[in-house]
Formats: sequence, structure tokens, C-alpha cells
Amino acid sequence: MGSIQDRLTKLLGRDRVLHSPDALLAWECDGFTVHRGRPLAVVLPDSTAEVQAVLQLLHAAEVPFVPRGAGTCLSGGPTAAGDAVVVDCSRMRRVLEVSTVDLYAIVEPGVVNLDLTTAVHEHGLHYAPDPSSQSVCTIGGNLAENSGGPHCFKYGMTTDHVLGALVVLPDGSLARLGDTAGPRAPHGLDLAGVFTGSEGTFGIATEITVRLSRDPEAIRTLLASFSTMADACRTVSDIVAAGLVPAALEILDRATIRAVEASVYRAGYPEDAAAVLLVELDGPELVVAEETEEIAAITQRHDALRLEEASDPKERKRLWKGRKGAFGAMGRLNTDLYVLDGVVPRTRLEDALNGIEAIAQRYEVVLTNVFHAGDGNLHPNISFDGRDPEQVKRVVAAGKEILELCVELGGSITGEHGVGTEKIDHVPMMFRESDLEVMARVRGVFDPTGRCNPGKAIPERNACAEPAKWPQMVARVLDETEETFGPDGGRAP
Amino acid sequence: MTVLRPKNAAEVAATLRETNGPVRLIGSGSQQDRLPAAPDAVRIELAGLDAIERFDAGDQTCTVGPGTTLAAIQAAAEAENLGLPCALPQTGTAGNTAGGLFANDPIGALTAGGPTPRSSLLGIDAVLADGAEFRSGARVTKSVAGFDLHKLFVGSRGRLFAVTRLHLRLKPLPRSTRWFRCEPQPIADALARFQTLRGLPAPPAAVHLVRDGNGSPHCRVVGRFEGRESFVNAMHRTHELPPGEPITRLLLTPTPGGEVLAGILRPSRTTDLLALTNDDSAFILHGGGRFELATPNAAASDALLQQLPELGGHATIVAGEPTRRGTGTPIDPGQQRLSEELSRKLDPDGKLV
Repeated sequence: MGSIQDRLTKLLGRDRVLHSPDALLAWECDGFTVHRGRPLAVVLPDSTAEVQAVLQLLHAAEVPFVPRGAGTCLSGGPTAAGDAVVVDCSRMRRVLEVSTVDLYAIVEPGVVNLDLTTAVHEHGLHYAPDPSSQSVCTIGGNLAENSGGPHCFKYGMTTDHVLGALVVLPDGSLARLGDTAGPRAPHGLDLAGVFTGSEGTFGIATEITVRLSRDPEAIRTLLASFSTMADACRTVSDIVAAGLVPAALEILDRATIRAVEASVYRAGYPEDAAAVLLVELDGPELVVAEETEEIAAITQRHDALRLEEASDPKERKRLWKGRKGAFGAMGRLNTDLYVLDGVVPRTRLEDALNGIEAIAQRYEVVLTNVFHAGDGNLHPNISFDGRDPEQVKRVVAAGKEILELCVELGGSITGEHGVGTEKIDHVPMMFRESDLEVMARVRGVFDPTGRCNPGKAIPERNACAEPAKWPQMVARVLDETEETFGPDGGRAP
Repeated sequence: MTVLRPKNAAEVAATLRETNGPVRLIGSGSQQDRLPAAPDAVRIELAGLDAIERFDAGDQTCTVGPGTTLAAIQAAAEAENLGLPCALPQTGTAGNTAGGLFANDPIGALTAGGPTPRSSLLGIDAVLADGAEFRSGARVTKSVAGFDLHKLFVGSRGRLFAVTRLHLRLKPLPRSTRWFRCEPQPIADALARFQTLRGLPAPPAAVHLVRDGNGSPHCRVVGRFEGRESFVNAMHRTHELPPGEPITRLLLTPTPGGEVLAGILRPSRTTDLLALTNDDSAFILHGGGRFELATPNAAASDALLQQLPELGGHATIVAGEPTRRGTGTPIDPGQQRLSEELSRKLDPDGKLV
């Protein structure tokens, strides 16, 4: 019996099993570059049968594994430790079935989010969940993380669009959860629901059935600028209080605006503004027209400095460009970026932002804010130099305090990025030992040996592999490349 | 029959811990005649946990006890121009509880991609059969921390754990609502209209395909558009929808000697399903894909349960002879194995029935 690498190579062939140190470099981390760990090997299966064969082999050899899509996760979810094999599903990128009548698609996990929308665009359909990385992230990764995105305020998270999945369990056996008709049979349990968002700790979904949505008749995108962040937040509150449900409500603060305007993502945002609010409305033409007027009036009540409306798809793309490129633009501020993902009740946005500012000042860190204002999902971004251990220490401490603040205000430590390794020590802010014990029991149903993505999502008492601990290595700026915009000129940021 | 009525989470935990033998968790009890019989079970009624503990109109969320009636939640919400977005089991059943709605989830979505109990439940506090307390989810509208154990509660019929607190999402009330009720048509025509409406970019808030079971094989389409008045009017005009009374019966009752199946099916297979039934059996298909179908007897139900998987559907008997309720189409073996293991892990003694 040879090494595990040899046996995997025998199974998949030399070109689909990587284990030389230089070949593994690209799999050392995900979008959260602070945690790094070199896996034992990376395998690139091409089918459900191959995933089964790989997991059966690893199960027999008692080797842990880490499922992975495009690696765009921002919390270290698909980052492996040294004794784990990465099962990279990015080669499994076939759209297996599309029903334009029953409005679903069955896809492999490596299908890129935006590619699915592109594939069904000719039928006037799209896949609604739209994480910022949608031009590169995969449906499999979205399923694992229960990804969100700017438009989930109106359309919900990934879990609201997953109808079912064919899953390879950690021992290599198969289970079909949910179906094209829905995620749960009337006499069944919602296993598809609990699998979604389990951060790859329950198994690997190799066929995913998702709901497709009809393209809206009209889309209008507005950009309101304000002299204070409070005015921007209160505008959001009033929009929601008026019963309006825009497709997206995004806020960027002054520091972000300036970083964006100084970068290749320049979108023409007013640099004198303390905050800009990006509002997207979609729906029937006459509804969108009426809502646009209503929102214009609300922004005026809150002393908007300016209200701009995209007049055509190109303009719309421009307005979104700054928002989409915001994280990339942070690269101008320092070498490294730590993107937080706390959530607060929408009514506590102002309190949260004030508190975050105080924390940043106390720890002397450079912090910018870009956030999904509609659902209170904050993304405080701390720019720092990861080569300076003292800075890293302050960044870590500030991040922890920000998440504590979010929880104190009634919120969550993560709205869409997941716990991964990044927030694993912060989970007890939200959950007691008794909560985690029950979660561990449920995890044990899917993965009795604990070898499927160990050290992620919930703290483990008997982990097979220690998660990478941060800070271990110099982080690099999350430098998002120019996004490929949607086929309709930028439906998805 | 032993009936226990705890008043708070600690009492629920103590009651569960101290009760031996089978336990049936109950809200108002309104759905009990649609569940498998449990004549020997101790009944633990959660109607006493009926407080609206938190109501945040600005965040459009609330926290309630499982015994809180849907009517109480709706009243509190409507006072703030909000509403519970998911479908309520039956118009006029004011005593139904929040716990019962989420535990049974009898209807699913009223329209394609519409809100459901699943999408309206943000988090829970719960108690296992051994009395261990835990929580899942959060009270905010967006959180991916921890595993979504609260999703397991939806439709579980209380077989996994007891819920003592629910965090719910609310939605703004629509500015205008108008029902439509089309004349009965041959099934092919009615289904075509149903599919057209549910496939609209802005579909009705509810759409149902209904066969009354009064001897006519014809079906009619009933539903409602919600939103701005201009939109509602335009939709009715464009699709030539006659105004009509709201639908009041979303759940079917069996004829004497008959049964009711509740199921899920891709709408495009509806004709195939109805081809397997008597022309005059009552039938309702909701826009989200769930259906109910009345059968004349057990044999007819069994035949349908056997044939339905070939159509890609699933169903279970929800009304009829108590011992037959809960009988359903076979579930994928892998899923079945996981479900059984889950029950064993959370309720090792099989106490919750």
C-alpha cells in the first residue's frame, strides 16, 4: 500500500492529484488570507462517482478532507491543515438540467454563480443569490456557506433558493436531500435546509437543484449622497418603514468612497459625501417608477446632497462598479485587509457604526465601512500591514470587539461569510456549550468521524485536525480582479 | 390521557425530562387529526408559552412563544403595518399557534418562490427530549453562525425537539390586495393559466388550482395580487382576472371512508397526477408546489403513493384512518438513513412521537 497521494493518483491520474509544495501554494488559503495551511494533497474529481471514490479512500485511510469550490470564501472555510486533503470541485462545472417551466436548474458544485445566470439568461431567468464574488464563486461554495449578497434583502439567502442536493457523505455513501419539487417531502425532515450553510462539514454536494427566478421587468438604480452617515442610515430606516422592499440597499462610508475614487474602480461617487446609499429597485415598470419617486422624496427629507439615477445599463454598471470594487480598492490603503461580517438589527445601525468607530480609534486601526444596510449586515474592513505583528495583534483585538458589539446589540457574528476558522473562537459569543453540543450531535449524523472539514463552523472538542491558527503568515490584500458583470449589464455586483 | 401544560421553557425541560414513555407535543391541537395517532402518548401542551416577548417593528422581527396564537401575532403585527409573511393553515382558525404552524408547515409557499414558514423562521430556543436546552439561529434577519437546526423544526411535527421560543421575520403589509377567482375550466386550460400566473416575473402573492370535488372534473384558478394599487389593477386587467372571494379552505377534509394526501410535485406534472385520480376528487395545488388530494379509499391512496415517485413527487396521508396517517411515499434511502440517525441522536429513547 503506497502513500495516500499515490493511492489518490492511482484513482484520478497524475494531473488531477497535486501534492508538490509549489503546486499546493494556490490552495493554502481562501479569500481570508490570514489563515494559511498547506494541505497534504489537492484532488480534482470530475464526477459524483469520483468524489465518492475519493471519499471512500480517505475514509478507509482515516484521512481528513476539506471540500473546496473557487476558494473565494472570506472566513477560512476551505483552508486545510497539513494532514487534510483538499477535494476541489471546481472541475465539476456542468449545468445538468434547466426547467423553464418549473423554474429550476440542476448544476454541479463547480458551476460559477454568474455562469448559471448567463446560462439561463436567454429564457428571461436568473439565479437570485448574488455574492459580491459571483463572477468567480461557485454554487457548491455558496451552498456550503449559505451565501448572501446585496440582493438578498429582497430575495433571500442561498438557502431560500436551494431545492435539493445529491450529497456524497464523508464515508462515500450517497444521500439525496430535497428534490426538484422542493427541499422537503411533506413527511420528511428538512435535511437540505440544515446541510445548506454547514460550511462543508457535512459532506460534498455534487448535484445541486436551485430555484430560478424570472428577470424583473424593470430595474432602476439610484445613488444618494449624504453629509452624515446618520442621514444615510435614517433614510434606509424610512424606506423600510414605508413598506418599500428595494432589491438592494448598500451604504459606503467616506473612507471607502475615497479609496474607490482613487482606484481603478472609480465610479464617480461624490468625494465630499460622508456616505453614499445605493438603492436598486426592481419589478414591474409602473411599480418601480412609483417607488423611485417615493424614495427620492425620502432622501430629500434626510437632506441628501445629491440623488443620481442610472439612466441606462452602462450607468447602472458604473454605479455598481464602486460598490463591487470596494474591497479591491482597499488595496490602496495597506497591504492587508480584514473583512468583518457582523450583523445588527437594522434599527441599531447607527449605534453599531458609532461603536465601531470608537473601537477603531481605540485600537488605532484604519477602518472603512461598506455594508448591506437593508438587513443590517455590516462589513467593517480593517486595512493593515500583516508583516507587523503588533498591528496584526491590534487588528485581531479590534475585530473581536466589533463582533462582541454586534452580538450585544442583538445581532450575529456573521451574516454571510461563515465562521470558518476566522471566527471559530468567537462562536461562544452567540452559542452556549449546550447549543454547540447539540450542533455537534447533528454534525455527527452526517460525519460521525469528524474528518469532513474539521475545525470549521463550530468549535470542536475532539478535532481530528487543528485549524490553522492566525496570524501565521503574512496576509495579502484581497485584490479582487475586475468583475465580469452580468449579461444584462450588471444585475449582480 | 395525561395532559401536561408547562408555562415556560424551564417547565418544558423539566416536564420532558421527567416524563417516561411516548410524548406528543401539542400547540392548540388543531392539527392533531392530521397526524399519526398516538393514543398512549402523554400530551404536553405548549399553549401556555404564549407571550409575544419582543416586537421590533423597525427591524421587522419578533420573538414569540410557541403557544402564541397566529391571531395574536397578526394583530400585533398589523398594528405596525406588518404581517407574518408565510401562509396560515386555514382562514378563520384563530386558535392556531405559531409552534403548530412551523412544526407542521402544512402548505409551504402560496406562490412560486414565495415566503414559507421555513423562510420566516430566523431562530429558535428549544429543548431535547432529555430536557437539554439549546438555541439555533438568531433574531436578526441574516445570520449564518452555527448550524441551522431551526430548519429541522419546520415540518418535523415535534418529532425531534420542543421549541420554546421562535424568532420570526415579518413583512410590510401590502398597500392593496385583490382576490381573483376564475370560472371552472378543463384541467389543461386551468393548469395553463395557473402556470402562466406563477411564472410571471411578479407573480400573484397566492395562486391555487382548485378542483372542488363536487362531481365536476373542472378546475379553477384562485389567488390574489398584492402590492401597489396600480400594479394590482394592472395585473387583473392584463390577465383578465375576475374578482372573487378569498379562498377559505387551503386544507382538504376526507369524504366518508376516504383519505387526504398532502404532497409536493413539480406543477408541470399535475396533469399526470390528476390522470391517476377520479375526475371528481377534491384537489388543491398551491403556487409553491404543494398539493392536497382527496381519495375515495385507502386502496386509491396506496396506488397513488406507489405511482407518485415516478412523477417525481412525494406525498403522505394526512387525513383518514388514524393508523394510516403518516404513511407516505418512500424517501431516498440515504436521506432515510440520515433522518433515522438524526432522530436517534436527538431523541435516543424515541420519546417524541
